[in-house]
Amino acid sequence: MQKMTSANNGAGEQERAPRVVFVGLASCFGCQINITNAEAYLLDVLGQIDLRYWQLTHSEPMPDEFDVAVVEGAVTTEEAAETLLEVRRRAKAVITIGACAATAGIPGMASEHYLPRPVQVYGEHIPEACGTMCAPRPVKSVIDVDFEVACCPVEPLEFVRVLQQVLYGSNRFRRSSTLCGECKRNERGCFYGRETLCLGLVTRSGCGAKCPNLGRPCNGCAGLSPDANVASARAVCERSGVSVARFDAALEMFNQTNPLVASAEVEGE
Amino acid sequence: MLYRVIDAAELPQLVAAFMEKYEVVAPVRSGRSFAFEVVTSFDEIVLDYPTTITSLKKYYLPPRETLFEFDMGENEVRDFEMQVKPRVLFGAHACDINALNCLNSVFEDARYPDPYYEAHRAATMVVGISCMPSEGCFCHLLDSDEARSGYNLFLADIGGRYLVSIGSVEAANILESACNPRVATDEDRIAFRHATRRRQQAFNPDIPDIQEIPMLMDAFHSDPFWEELGGRCLSCTACSSVCPTCYCFDIRDTLDPDGATGRRERVWDACTSPQFAQVAGGHNFRDDGRNRVRHRMYHKLNGFLATHDRNLCVGCGRCVYACKANISPIEVLKFFERKGADNAQ
Repeated sequence: MQKMTSANNGAGEQERAPRVVFVGLASCFGCQINITNAEAYLLDVLGQIDLRYWQLTHSEPMPDEFDVAVVEGAVTTEEAAETLLEVRRRAKAVITIGACAATAGIPGMASEHYLPRPVQVYGEHIPEACGTMCAPRPVKSVIDVDFEVACCPVEPLEFVRVLQQVLYGSNRFRRSSTLCGECKRNERGCFYGRETLCLGLVTRSGCGAKCPNLGRPCNGCAGLSPDANVASARAVCERSGVSVARFDAALEMFNQTNPLVASAEVEGE
Repeated sequence: MLYRVIDAAELPQLVAAFMEKYEVVAPVRSGRSFAFEVVTSFDEIVLDYPTTITSLKKYYLPPRETLFEFDMGENEVRDFEMQVKPRVLFGAHACDINALNCLNSVFEDARYPDPYYEAHRAATMVVGISCMPSEGCFCHLLDSDEARSGYNLFLADIGGRYLVSIGSVEAANILESACNPRVATDEDRIAFRHATRRRQQAFNPDIPDIQEIPMLMDAFHSDPFWEELGGRCLSCTACSSVCPTCYCFDIRDTLDPDGATGRRERVWDACTSPQFAQVAGGHNFRDDGRNRVRHRMYHKLNGFLATHDRNLCVGCGRCVYACKANISPIEVLKFFERKGADNAQ
């Protein structure tokens, strides 16, 4: 494994831990907060990095130099897009955390017919502080993303695992299989046998099917798998007495801007 | 094979005797279905369960298993001792015993023995039980409706008593000490004959009995049917999660949060996972549902037979229930039946 170290290592200089910054865009900041729930391991994790900036806890502006950028949230303003371009220029690796960054998530729900919305909310005088608003979109629509930590919110130790993948390298390969395989490993029956809508049919696996394991249907927060078979899933709904319209509507919560969701209208691209 | 008869009322004593020395795993109710779980009393066991969501393979090939541990700082593998529990798998149906026999022939192949698998298996006793087929069962079409080997005891229900096939000395001793096994009478033998006939007649007649399946798999390799079947695959891998004979795995390293130590783990994999056949450089040898589903069916109904002389599909029917897209070997058998119809196109 090749270990990532700080960029400005001079000859003879002691090896320095990679400098990490946390950037927050449009989101509830819940993913950043949830990372602190790995409290039993936080000091261990901080010992492996040089944490230069965490938007949630720092008053100072983000430093110019860093190695790893962790981004939470969707892009909802032109300024945010510019921030991302700057981050991409400086960072060796970009990790997104959470559904908002990966799929535009909750802010993305407003992306359809977006342009009239600010006026509906603020009237003709849109506050300057809002920035130059644009239809919410995922981080990867603006810059290349190296690693994604999925879900709403992220699982803290999954974030640690991906961070370590950046720091040390890894032989792990991210799969695009959908959730039901993990659900069956948990030995759970299927919601569709009870005429209950569940988005596991098309949602990317990796979370371990936690919600179905706790008796709740999947709401799709890991986002549509790139190999999702939406047409076949709609046929499952039809056969199982679950409304296809409800299935499509449920998909929009985390996948509004995904071209695989036929009803989505992608604006601003 | 040695046969004895015990009364149904003696079963709790038999299970209790196993519990003295072993962890006992048996079918229990789980939600609206059934699962193999560790039991601590006979009363938890559902003897006449139809099937379980997943199979017994998890006890020989855990979904996630540590192979060894390592130290990142020292760049060294640490000593690692796997924890193996002496276990009795109680209440296995014939299809599942045949499935374990399939796994045995893979993982105990003298050329590539698997020490982890062997350790689990060596510590495990299998006690089979007879069953009545449910709607999705087709073990009889794939020569898996009888367990001819691979068990320590097999309990055939002959009405209020069991005809017990004895497969090992260890199990015979426990049976002898816990129950009062008696020699079978003519009446017992006739009852057994009636029970097997009743079972044979209870299989779902809508699942077609097809001759020469492996040959047909080759002959219809390029049929548009595979696009129809594979085109609706959801790529979820539920089929292989529940399958008692899917044994493919991936190996990965997992670091501890401190980044100083970690484990090499074996985790279940599946040929219906889109990246399964992707190789270095990015080429994917089976990059769509048609190719993946066809490959899976070939291994189950053709390929394994050629090297291991038995079908890898044992007709347990679990994938019939698990696959929401209605993809299962039954659909393949129905396809062959359509092709054999007088008016087939």
